Amino acid sequence: MTHGKRWLTLGILVSPFLVFLFSLTLGPSKISPADIGKTLLSPVVRTWGDAVTPVQRDIVFGIRLPRLLLGLAVGAALSVSGASLQAVFKNPLVNESILGLSSGAAFGASLSIVILGAAVPPQIAAFIFALAAVALVLAVSRASRSPLITVLLTGVIISAFFSALLSLVEFFASPYSLQTLFYWLMGNLGSAGWRDLAVPLPLMAAGVMVLLLMSWRLNVLSLDTEDARSLGVNVKRDQRLVVLLATLATAAAVSVAGIIGWLGLIIPHLVRMLVGVDNRRVLPLSAALGASLLVLADDAARSMAAFEVPVGIFTSLIGLPLFILLLTKSAKIWR
Amino acid sequence: MNITVRNLRFSRPGFELRVPAFDGRDAEITAVVGPNGAGKTTFLKCLSGLWRPAEGEIRIDGSRLETLGEADRARRLAFVPQEHAAAFNFSVLDFVLMGRAAYLPLFGAPSASDRAAARDALAYVGFESFAVRPLFDLSSGERRLVLIARALAQKSEVLVLDEPTTFLDPRRETEVMDLLGRLASEQRKTIVVTLHNLDLAVRYAARIVFLKDGRIVAKGRPDEILTEELLQQVYEIPMRIIDYEGRQFIVR
Repeated sequence: MTHGKRWLTLGILVSPFLVFLFSLTLGPSKISPADIGKTLLSPVVRTWGDAVTPVQRDIVFGIRLPRLLLGLAVGAALSVSGASLQAVFKNPLVNESILGLSSGAAFGASLSIVILGAAVPPQIAAFIFALAAVALVLAVSRASRSPLITVLLTGVIISAFFSALLSLVEFFASPYSLQTLFYWLMGNLGSAGWRDLAVPLPLMAAGVMVLLLMSWRLNVLSLDTEDARSLGVNVKRDQRLVVLLATLATAAAVSVAGIIGWLGLIIPHLVRMLVGVDNRRVLPLSAALGASLLVLADDAARSMAAFEVPVGIFTSLIGLPLFILLLTKSAKIWR
Repeated sequence: MNITVRNLRFSRPGFELRVPAFDGRDAEITAVVGPNGAGKTTFLKCLSGLWRPAEGEIRIDGSRLETLGEADRARRLAFVPQEHAAAFNFSVLDFVLMGRAAYLPLFGAPSASDRAAARDALAYVGFESFAVRPLFDLSSGERRLVLIARALAQKSEVLVLDEPTTFLDPRRETEVMDLLGRLASEQRKTIVVTLHNLDLAVRYAARIVFLKDGRIVAKGRPDEILTEELLQQVYEIPMRIIDYEGRQFIVR
């Protein structure tokens, strides 16, 4: 690695912390960085607690902190899951939506918002149907002789199926619930409070952490299945574990944040162009870069206008042209 | 370490391979030859534990292959495929390092000693200067040697290679076979290799097994079994064996 790349790598790794501190200061109510710092440390340093108003405390701890933590976790979870799935499917174009996960989640959310009402919250319905879609894809493709390619094909079909179901629900929806649904589908980080994060946040953290621990093994798993076996790896077991972890983390992310597209594809690709394909580097850097960029995109989405633009629109609008630009200039990093 | 096969039967629709007995001995190269479709690759994959035969047993120094776990097997036997197409463009060293997978736990990453083993393996095939080169930049001959280096990083006593010289120019062909010869004589490895070039088989192999239509037609030391009749029977074209300066050459 050149000197410049080393610094860039280091910069990416520390960026989530800087982005986190910077983003805490953003918001409609102006709170000075000094007050933010005092508020954050007030549970530890008692004397500073008196200098902080209850309103400031509510804004920092009740609104900004959960939103930022969610952004960091979702960004890391989507990017790390994307990179891991790309390794086990030996294909750099795989992401969670190819496994049927996104459209399953979208249909689940629509069921909850349009039909079930408040009885089943959209988060839970989305999570359940995200898992169900992936399970369906894996079950259908299991019978096949070349499971890996079949998984991808089946994923496309199951996705189309859930999209059709989603359209059906939308067709019968009232204008009001339709608006709520569209807002959910576009992906946003604003609707989450601490209670909504209690389960998804630990799930995302656990998934990301175990995948990070497996990052070297992912190198071996990215070889042809038979080749990886000949090197002494229990390929089937390891593949299942990776798909399970990536699915749980992504489903947790989608259930609270909605469909935030393309992150799982773009971030690992950017990182590979920077540091090569060794997953010992790709995974941690994807986690850091995904976390930072999603929070920055969310910062822009919530401070650009008087109203909030859903961040999912943002990641797609900015991410995809950038991705095309990079693709045309990138060195050969895959077959 | 010896590898022995008894009463092996492998079948798939339209093809059946039967090997009543086969022995690979340490410090020797055993060549498996025969026409396309004779079952050479099938045999190697059964021998390496990658494909499971319908019947029969394969033992490495007495222990049955199918009772060994994947990692345990890979520490004793390394398989070198004919061609390798990685989906991602790893550096040569990172690729060779994957030969250490059998020694590392699920959450493990290579240590300094694993990296040393990978570098030694690269040096043994004469490629120490290739460590940082991207895999996709290599020629097919260079890739073949990198695959052999990866197998050496496995530190197994049995090496099974599927047509390691096919598509190589004469110089590389000789390099690869000399390397296998050195591995047998210097490191006492048990080497089983499929070859199409019969001259190479005669020159380097201690024993040759002739396969045709999934059956063994002949096996033994080349000077004992090699006849023009056998070659005619196996390849169905007339071939001559010519003695020149004490070595046998096969011409068509």
